[in-house]
Amino acid sequence: MRAYVYTDKSLERYAGRFVWLSLNTENAKNAAFLKKYPIPALPTLLVLDAKRDSVALRYVGGANVSQVRKMLDDASSTYHSRAVSTADTALTRGDKLAAAGEHADAIKAYEEALTAAPKAWPRYGRTAESMLFSMSMSDQNERCASRALELYPRVKGTVSAANVAATGLGCATSLEETHAQRNAWITALEAETREVLKNPKIELSGDDRSGLYMSLIDARDAMKDDEGSMQLKNEWLSSLEASAKSAKTNEQRAVYDSHRLSAYIELGMAEKAIPMLEQSERDFPDDYNPPARLALAYNAMKQYDKALAASDRAVAKVYGPRKLSVLSTRADIQLAKGDKEAARATIQQAIDYAKSLPEGQRSDRRIAQFEKRLAALD
Amino acid sequence: MKETNAMKRLVLSALLAFIAISASANVPFIEDDYTKAVSQAKKLNVPIFVEAWAPW
Repeated sequence: MRAYVYTDKSLERYAGRFVWLSLNTENAKNAAFLKKYPIPALPTLLVLDAKRDSVALRYVGGANVSQVRKMLDDASSTYHSRAVSTADTALTRGDKLAAAGEHADAIKAYEEALTAAPKAWPRYGRTAESMLFSMSMSDQNERCASRALELYPRVKGTVSAANVAATGLGCATSLEETHAQRNAWITALEAETREVLKNPKIELSGDDRSGLYMSLIDARDAMKDDEGSMQLKNEWLSSLEASAKSAKTNEQRAVYDSHRLSAYIELGMAEKAIPMLEQSERDFPDDYNPPARLALAYNAMKQYDKALAASDRAVAKVYGPRKLSVLSTRADIQLAKGDKEAARATIQQAIDYAKSLPEGQRSDRRIAQFEKRLAALD
Repeated sequence: MKETNAMKRLVLSALLAFIAISASANVPFIEDDYTKAVSQAKKLNVPIFVEAWAPW
């Protein structure tokens, strides 16, 4: 969104109608905010009413310019109390509850909004997306998959269809293999996800398309279809390379680096990521991501000394919870190289660092994962 | 943050790559200062648009 959305001139007219706040969730300065408003995935967009200290709108995921404009109009109406239909009120309540992590009640509010929605209610799609996301977050996978199938016809042909189909598909693939409906639901939701990808009228960004491919690959993997999975990975990479090629700026091109790296590694061609990542390291010398990704690429290529050199550069720049992932990769490289002692020291460094993070950024689950990993080395 | 299957697939998972909000952004973002944003919003009687993101 930073490279493609906020640069759009059509947003200028909203500049004075909002205070615009950008919060880097890796920055310790924002830990108190994160404690108050848990952020489940990135990006998350919120509209807050400072006077009432409440959430007016919440949307998890990337959005294109049209979606952002629509959300800004909605939020402005809610803030100035111009939209007071039953559906609008229920949607706002759902967003507030979801922002507080109270997904069971949020789902009830979203369902109420969908039931009360007037014909052609412009917020139907966003409500459906948010409800399915809350279901996914609270592991209500059966309900999520079945509701996605019910809701899809209503949002078909709109940008909301992408999240409805892909979230539903993610939920279906998370079901137990013994679930009677699992395979049928996966097949149906895959067809809908593909339909979204093939519809040129739906305005999807390159990374949105990448997300849809990842959902489809997960689904083929869940169905143990290696050939189908490999075919999709090749399609995914072609789509990403086309998006990167059409980027107008270095920033836009770099949006695809992590996705392309994943695709290259999964296709067993990690070496193809090296020139791209070296270019990004030159273009963004203060950014820890290019060397962190180079470490992953060289590790996949079994060039461990180069991987560790890149990891050194990443560790020197990285901060916040992301440092834990960089250290985890470093331990992977050290273990692959056969240096168990160095790996042990790195994991201990990660545990110490994880415990030092402020509330809002500190994750007990993450600390437990590292402790388990350390114990396994003994 | 909960990891979805698709997110797990990304080796260094990312929905966004790092780019500092560029000078060409068409809205005036306040960076990492919630208190300042709240103060301005109350003064101007407007809502706060928040983008929570990460540089990865």
